Amino acid sequence: MLRFFDRLYLFCIWISGLSILAMSLIIPWGVFARYVLGTGSSWPEPVAVLLMVTFTFMGAAAGYRAGAHIAVGMLVDHLPAGVQKIGAFLVHILMLVIGGFVVVWGSKLVMGTMGQTLAELPWLAVGWTYMPVPLGALLTLVFVLEVLFWGPAHDRAVVVFDHEGPTSAEAI
Amino acid sequence: MDALVLLGSFILLMLLGMPVAYALGLAALLGALWIDLPLDAVMIQMASGVNKFSLLAIPCFVLAGAIMAEGGMSRRLVAFASVLIGFVRGGLSLVNILASTFFGAISGSSVADTASIGSVLIPEMEKNGYPRPFATAVTVSGSVQAILIPPSHNAVIYSMAAGGTVSVAALFMAGVFPGLLLGLCLAVYCLYVARRENYPKGRVIPLKEALKICVDALWGLATMGIILGGILSGVFTATESASIAVVWAFFVTMFIYRDYKWKDLPKLMHRTVKTVTIVMILIGFAASFGYIMTLMQIPLKITAVFTALSSEPWVILLCVNIMLLALGTLMDMAPLILILTPILLPVMKTIGVDPVHFGMIMMVNLGIGLITPPVGAVLFVGSAVAKLKIEQVVKAMKPFFVILLFVLVLVTYVPQISLWLPRSMGL
Repeated sequence: MLRFFDRLYLFCIWISGLSILAMSLIIPWGVFARYVLGTGSSWPEPVAVLLMVTFTFMGAAAGYRAGAHIAVGMLVDHLPAGVQKIGAFLVHILMLVIGGFVVVWGSKLVMGTMGQTLAELPWLAVGWTYMPVPLGALLTLVFVLEVLFWGPAHDRAVVVFDHEGPTSAEAI
Repeated sequence: MDALVLLGSFILLMLLGMPVAYALGLAALLGALWIDLPLDAVMIQMASGVNKFSLLAIPCFVLAGAIMAEGGMSRRLVAFASVLIGFVRGGLSLVNILASTFFGAISGSSVADTASIGSVLIPEMEKNGYPRPFATAVTVSGSVQAILIPPSHNAVIYSMAAGGTVSVAALFMAGVFPGLLLGLCLAVYCLYVARRENYPKGRVIPLKEALKICVDALWGLATMGIILGGILSGVFTATESASIAVVWAFFVTMFIYRDYKWKDLPKLMHRTVKTVTIVMILIGFAASFGYIMTLMQIPLKITAVFTALSSEPWVILLCVNIMLLALGTLMDMAPLILILTPILLPVMKTIGVDPVHFGMIMMVNLGIGLITPPVGAVLFVGSAVAKLKIEQVVKAMKPFFVILLFVLVLVTYVPQISLWLPRSMGL
């Protein structure tokens, strides 16, 4: 089962990584087209934004599994172990609440905007640009459930595979 | 009561250990339920919070900086700084600071600065007779320059949090002099210590070797030229410049420097994904939080509290500085910018502080927070790179804190330091 979560995690990382790669190629292409080809194409901008939303929500799901999110441990770290356990359990339940909200209301948003299209890109419905939001939240939920039933996964081999190297800083 | 529900639940959730991003989202949700706002409105704010073209600048700047930092750029910047200033007494400590200045010009990340410059220079400084805690303190405090000197992704986050009313170009230009001032003050102190402790002079590098080092470093430093030149001339936007910087950074690292292995690229990507997406999602959730906050008129009420405190702008600025410093020691920079900007910007506007100037005040404050215990990402990384206990580094940093506070006072009360450059360029 943990292998399945590992695969899912890598899936998120790869989708997210390829998105940022693609968007940092698409935008320069837009600039190139504007100045060199003289054909101010309008598609790079909305496509790059779609890729960024994908990057954000898929990556953040993976980030949750990796325990990379910014959290304040000051109070919790000083509590007795038993209380810490209850606190952590509570946090996971609350994560299910907020994650669930984004999945349900995010899907509603996607459905509601499927009828509208982008001005710059008539074949792309607005709904698609919101699609990664509930999708990423759903994956986050899966990872929250993993922690609840199988325990934390931030020391799995696939998660820490990037830790060596000149700068293994976990913050920007 | 409204404020209590929103801010109270947020603080409670955060103290419980919930990731800040999701705590913001959940608090926004509770706030919306409390004031009977349809939840669809909250969802739209969350989704559209990250659905903005201007936000693309953040992941791109971070990625460009990461490629440069890991791809042997820092070593070349250190060599370049040695050519320029290494030959004076205490040369290596000045090289450290100057290398951070250059590093700041290609990346806005103090953490990456400390990690990459520190791993080159801390051992080198120790070999030449500098105590390791001192070398670490120089590295850590010098890295705050990276936040101020353009390009800075934190400036983009601030511009975003200010509702897009503050231009990224103006913020970039505003950061130049505060950044240089900080570097200068640190350098003066290092010179003084070098005399007192009789630290060694570095060698004068022969002209031929020096030229090669300069050319090598200029490939990387050209990044800043491309970014600022493009933005200021209007050839491309800040966002476009960031993505072009990625392509340039990649080109220079893989085809000019060629000391980064292709097989390490997935690792770099993996790390960037993890570190940047958590900031991006924070922006989304903070957007919904800020929206509820505005509906509850919390910024208005907070402005009233501050203006009731005193009618003197300098007193209010002092209070805001103390508050920012205190919060900065406890929390990371991005969430604080996102949460506090919508609250404090109206206060600043009321007392006549320019939003661009306030941006710089905030950067310096939160930058100091990054190197101060109990929670300081840069301090932690610095200690880890130097393999020292945090207490040892903090002890060595005491005089540096005084210098940073001095710079903070100057940046706060002399607005021209920040505003002269952008104003004279008509930004």
